Amino acid sequence: MASTVFRSFQTHPFVFHPTTLLRRKNVLLYCTMRSQQTQTATQEKVKPQVKVSNLNPNKKLENISKDYEAVIGIETHVQLSTQTKAFCSCPYNYGSQPNTSICPICMGLPGALPILNFKVIESAVKVGLALNCKLAMNSKFDRKQYFYADLPKGYQISQFDVPIATGGYIDLDIPVEFGGGHRKFGITRVHMEEDAGKLMHSDDGSYSQESTFRFVDLNRAGVPLLEIVSEPDMRNGIEAAEYAAEIQRVVRYLGVSNGNMQEGSLRCDVNVSIRPIGQLQFGTKVEIKNLNAFSAVSRAIDYEISRQVLLHSQGQDKEIVQETRLWDEGAQKTVTMRKKEGLSDYRYFPEPDLPGVFLTQDYVDGIHNSLPELPEMKRRRYEKMGLSMQDILFLANDMNVAEFFDTTIKKGADAKLAANWIMSDFAAYMKNEELSINEVKLSPQELAELIAFIKDGTISGKIGKQILFELLAKGGTVKGLIEEKDLVQIVDPAEIEKMVEKVLSENPKQLDQYRGGKTKLQGYFAGQIMKLSKGKANPGLLNKILLEKLNAKS
Amino acid sequence: MGSRALLLVKEVSSSLLPKNQFLPNFNSHRKFAQVLHRRRSFSAATTAGSPPLEALDVPRLAETARISLTPQEVEEFAPKIGQVMEWFGQLQAVDLESVEPSIRADTEGDNFRADVPETFENRNAIIAAIPNYEEPYIKVPKVLNKE
Repeated sequence: MASTVFRSFQTHPFVFHPTTLLRRKNVLLYCTMRSQQTQTATQEKVKPQVKVSNLNPNKKLENISKDYEAVIGIETHVQLSTQTKAFCSCPYNYGSQPNTSICPICMGLPGALPILNFKVIESAVKVGLALNCKLAMNSKFDRKQYFYADLPKGYQISQFDVPIATGGYIDLDIPVEFGGGHRKFGITRVHMEEDAGKLMHSDDGSYSQESTFRFVDLNRAGVPLLEIVSEPDMRNGIEAAEYAAEIQRVVRYLGVSNGNMQEGSLRCDVNVSIRPIGQLQFGTKVEIKNLNAFSAVSRAIDYEISRQVLLHSQGQDKEIVQETRLWDEGAQKTVTMRKKEGLSDYRYFPEPDLPGVFLTQDYVDGIHNSLPELPEMKRRRYEKMGLSMQDILFLANDMNVAEFFDTTIKKGADAKLAANWIMSDFAAYMKNEELSINEVKLSPQELAELIAFIKDGTISGKIGKQILFELLAKGGTVKGLIEEKDLVQIVDPAEIEKMVEKVLSENPKQLDQYRGGKTKLQGYFAGQIMKLSKGKANPGLLNKILLEKLNAKS
Repeated sequence: MGSRALLLVKEVSSSLLPKNQFLPNFNSHRKFAQVLHRRRSFSAATTAGSPPLEALDVPRLAETARISLTPQEVEEFAPKIGQVMEWFGQLQAVDLESVEPSIRADTEGDNFRADVPETFENRNAIIAAIPNYEEPYIKVPKVLNKE
């Protein structure tokens, strides 16, 4: 099954133009993901309309859906970010000139023998432990035979009956906007294998049906992958997308992969079947490929569920066949790629060119002790700090954001205040400028400082905001900026009183109106005084003194 | 032949007892290759209670290996392959109830490589040997997926 996985993906990463990839790379993940998921959420609500209109307008579908349960399992391929390939020393860099990183081993030339990159084992053990799996202390590699131009040897080195890790689980939290809640999904297995090359339909990556040729780039052949297979525990598109997003977070936190879906470093194939509620037997399983974003995972599954439910409810369940379907992003639907005719015969056997993989408890313990704090642990820790789930998910989503936040609070900042600052103007700035948190000039130290200055009343919140943008763009220190621009908050009542009196005397008409009962004008006065103070007047004091003055002579 | 195979199975299971250590041992590629060539041994059935062997279907076997055989060749090869299968059939009959499954016959060669890139020097020779190369791609005929 897994071999077919590669084939379809080779043809599709090219749908995206390389420049779009580069641009997207700099955008923080949560920005893109959130917006995508919002779309999904909207679509959820108008479910029958959007999805069913493609098949057959049927307003009853939502009701019918209640009688069915979807069963979803996901196979995720994670490309490891090692310097070299799995079994040879060829360097791998995404986007290199085609066929430049090749050698007799990854080209499958006669007589060449593979030697395992130990980093592959290290990564597999890390992921296995992070996913709470049982590790096979003794495992091995197997040959999976199939013929395709992207696979020069005629077989893929993979793991078959003894995967390195089995029987784990992953914890995640569903975002509040999708109903919230904690989920635990089972992990069936994690195994190591090599990637295949890329097969293109033509030079420029466009699809031309007429061409009788295909173009092969073998740079990726032999690059190490981990295949992570989930239990069929998910029930809808959101759960599946959140599962995939959590896998991405885990591999990024562990530093074993960049997890970029657009580059194909993280590929998801989902299996979807439906069954009437109460039925124990699983329905016919359909596999969906070409899912290049979490939003696509979510929408493709929900579309597929609707399609199957509709067919089943119309007595056409024979039309649901075991097949591989592709997600068509443009048309927002799944289309048949190929029907499965019997089970593939991969004729697995143990790879004779490689020794077994034997782990010692010491080795495993060493890795276990060096694991970083994982997303789930972070979320639970943030929860104990009293942060809201929305804050928690935002901060823990990106390891660098979480680290920034952690450092900020280590410098003494209040957790809730720090979270607010990072999530509001700070996040908006990064999104607009397409910068990652490591690229902004503001340091956690300075953010903590800023928060402290606001808290002790040295500067107002409004001035704080100005300083924040200044620091984000140009760097520098909060102290330096406050001194340089004379931004210290005015807390001297006498000074504020002077300003209040000045504004009141300059606006006699409004003062009369206020005293005539138009008390809403207080806001107007406050604004004028704040303006006069260049935003530096302490708002509490300002309002207190203003009220006293306004009501004094009435 | 059958008895020899049996012996091998016994050896394999006993050699499993002292567990090897995971110690990255960065042998040079060439040295390792030689070692492997010499030591290449046949790895026995890894799982106890394997299902009985399928009946021999030479045309199908040829197809899965993408080899074309003439009817005469099918006739000629069938008994030979059948004989090999029979030997394995005898292996299937061995009672492995009390034997720990062997992961690999070859348990000594924990050889790993450090993750240090090295560019293969003679890429031009590889490219030159590709039958149909159109800079920078390897050109292959379009084939429909058989699986």
